Amino acid sequence: MKNIGKLEYCLVSLIAITLFNAFLGERFASTAIVSIVIALTVIYKGFVVIDHFMELKAANKNLRLLMRLYFVVFPAMVIVSAFY
Amino acid sequence: MNKISINKSLGIFPKSWSEQQAGRIPGNIPIWVGILSELTEFGIFFAAYFLAKFYYPEVFSQGPQSLNTGFGVTNTIVLLASSYFMAKAMAFIRLDNRAKCERYLWLAFSCGCLYLIVKTWEFYWNEAQGLSVNTSKFFTVYYYMTFNHFLHVGWASCAILWVIFRLRGKAYCAQEHTGLESLAVYWHMIDLMWILIFPLLYVLR
Repeated sequence: MKNIGKLEYCLVSLIAITLFNAFLGERFASTAIVSIVIALTVIYKGFVVIDHFMELKAANKNLRLLMRLYFVVFPAMVIVSAFY
Repeated sequence: MNKISINKSLGIFPKSWSEQQAGRIPGNIPIWVGILSELTEFGIFFAAYFLAKFYYPEVFSQGPQSLNTGFGVTNTIVLLASSYFMAKAMAFIRLDNRAKCERYLWLAFSCGCLYLIVKTWEFYWNEAQGLSVNTSKFFTVYYYMTFNHFLHVGWASCAILWVIFRLRGKAYCAQEHTGLESLAVYWHMIDLMWILIFPLLYVLR
């Protein structure tokens, strides 16, 4: 089966990033650096789900672009909000 | 109605959006209209969050510290696992393996139920701590966003039951599984929204 190994890899990486984010939140104040790291990990998590779970990587390019754009705009706002 | 007739019947998109030119549409166009509507709805919530955070930075810094991060982390992992199970269900229907497809759909459904239980428990825990929708602007946004997401998981879990019922009736096979795929992309959208909600409400301080 083509994507079985890939799916497990994606799940493990997504869970690891979630735990890392929680660790950052619990241990550190949301400085600009922490906010940028969290925003980048959110972008990565979104892209993984969009490409591999939602299977948009090899599907409609416009839908993929819209979905990915969503996961660039809002994490970017996280970074902007760090400078309020 | 099969996938081809559904996707041709609307005819509301430019030609460059056609499956021939832009690529295959997972599920069907109607579910994507729904998904994009939901994304807009959640987009408004996120915009409201950032706007409120701009005006009340102190409140939004203290708010997440009152929450139990464990509930948020648990629900994130549960939803990620549910997305994985849904993707596995899709992989097995493409192999015409209905038994394994159904098994993974039940696992995804179980994750949906577990999410609802953990979220309900979290709401009770919050109440025991004296936290409510009126506690602060942060909690107004928190309850508005999370309860809305809670409802989405609830009705999508019911949709999984419907798809399992249809699968048992042999409505899906390797060649035709549009309904199942539509549910799968919708479910992943719900997971995606939580991926954004989690850092906003539980991590950023």
